[in-house]
Amino acid sequence: MADLSQELFGAEFQSPVLLASGTCGYGEEYADLIPLDELGGLVTKAVSVEPRRGNPPHRVSETPGGMINAIGLENVGLDAFIAEKLPWLRANLQRAQVFVNVVGWTEDDFARVVLGLDDEDGFLGFEINVSCPNVKGGTLFGTDEQALAGLVKRLRAATDRPLIVKLTPNVPDVTVYARICEEGGADGLSAINTFPGMLIDVERRRPVIGNVSGGVSGPAILPMGVYLTWRAASACSIPIMGIGGIRSAEDALQYVLGGASLVQVGTSSFVDPQASVTVHDGISAYLDRHGVEKLSDLVGALDVPDPPSPPTLDAG
Amino acid sequence: MLSPDIARVARPGQFVMIGCGLDTPGVFMLPRPFSIGWRSPDGRIGILLRVFGQGTRRLSALERGDRVLLLGPLGEPFRLTAGQPIRCVAGGVGLAPFLFLAGEARAADHDVTLVYGERSAPYVFDPALIRELTGGVAQIWTEDGSAGSRGLVTQGLDPDDEALLLACGPTPMLRAVAAFARDHGADLQVSVEEYMACGVGTCQGCVVPGADGRWIKSCTEGPVFDARELAWPT
Repeated sequence: MADLSQELFGAEFQSPVLLASGTCGYGEEYADLIPLDELGGLVTKAVSVEPRRGNPPHRVSETPGGMINAIGLENVGLDAFIAEKLPWLRANLQRAQVFVNVVGWTEDDFARVVLGLDDEDGFLGFEINVSCPNVKGGTLFGTDEQALAGLVKRLRAATDRPLIVKLTPNVPDVTVYARICEEGGADGLSAINTFPGMLIDVERRRPVIGNVSGGVSGPAILPMGVYLTWRAASACSIPIMGIGGIRSAEDALQYVLGGASLVQVGTSSFVDPQASVTVHDGISAYLDRHGVEKLSDLVGALDVPDPPSPPTLDAG
Repeated sequence: MLSPDIARVARPGQFVMIGCGLDTPGVFMLPRPFSIGWRSPDGRIGILLRVFGQGTRRLSALERGDRVLLLGPLGEPFRLTAGQPIRCVAGGVGLAPFLFLAGEARAADHDVTLVYGERSAPYVFDPALIRELTGGVAQIWTEDGSAGSRGLVTQGLDPDDEALLLACGPTPMLRAVAAFARDHGADLQVSVEEYMACGVGTCQGCVVPGADGRWIKSCTEGPVFDARELAWPT
């Protein structure tokens, strides 16, 4: 049996497969459906300083090859997360690693959540959400180089825990932002968040989504996610969690070969709650089939042929 | 659909998510929520499927023997007090939970009536099947009078009746029944529907407006609510 475990961010990941933020609640919701503690881990729904009501419905709708959502970062807020949600994670997840997704609108917002949680048990690190397309200002830090640099530096000073920055695809060159995170002291990157999009109900001539626009996820965005992960990996040396449209081991392995050490399964869990388990098992089978002993040997092991010159028939 | 585990524990008002899973190449479909319409002693459950969009179209193309991914039973059921008389108000496929409920409630000696509205005759679910599943007759209303009485289901409600009202159907119908219940001081439970991705509370997509100003998840806190818990337009 191949070894899927990895030592990353000073912790043991028994599997490269995690559940993505916003698709697994605070873990508890899936406790009866998935063997959560056998996964690599999960990333919680975003946590902000104050509770948030979120957006009006419709909040979700299917799209070709995926879905669109505009939940609006509805969450219980920092205090209730510590009092009501974290105890369950602490008690029930011993081997799966937990990241708390953190969101804010000012540097202070982010810092207050990080500082408020830093002394608590029950999670490994933070995933900093600078990339939510569904609230005003949600991508501010993710699309402004100076703002991002300032935020990462500030949060780095605030915590010794693993600090992962979840990037937005909505920038002209993701490598610039990946480098800013690494130089600011981030321990890793999550690539990528949803793409902004909208659907129109032509009968009613109105937007389908209550928030008008939302974030598109699912298999439709897989090639963009793989590309941006590969680009980010080429620009920095910190580990990357690949996200976007993963529904099978083959999808996940595209991210791994492109440079991701870990992957997050999101929208596919809605289609089949067991999707993450299936992905894990499929990766294991792939490694056995190809005689690869350790998953880490595959990270970034992409073979990009040089362009032939003069052109010849590619022997494949 | 054969699912003994769901059939055994399901209660009227609960729902299932039905999907195709991830095994079919080229198909990526979010599961869809359906009220459980009936169950049989041999472990089958039934739903009412009417084609509205691409998901229901795909499900309608399934054939006997095909496998689907079923998640359930989910959500909060209708809450009945022993012996309480019950008036079910159904619009369209909102009939489904009452096929289940009326049969079980009658078996438990509740006095049950079922008022069922459709746009027109071609949509009306077979009255003989309704009788078979519920052990009683539905009072049918159509907007154009092509079947049953002409008009809206709310015309079938008795203002002097003190029975518990249960309603499931399109939002305008629910609004009208809620207004009726408010005006006449009747207790009303409604089963609501909103676009939903997961069915178990993780995606937070399926919210409805609560009377307390919150957005309430219809999957885990509903789909059945006391009408007073929800915010209705005034």
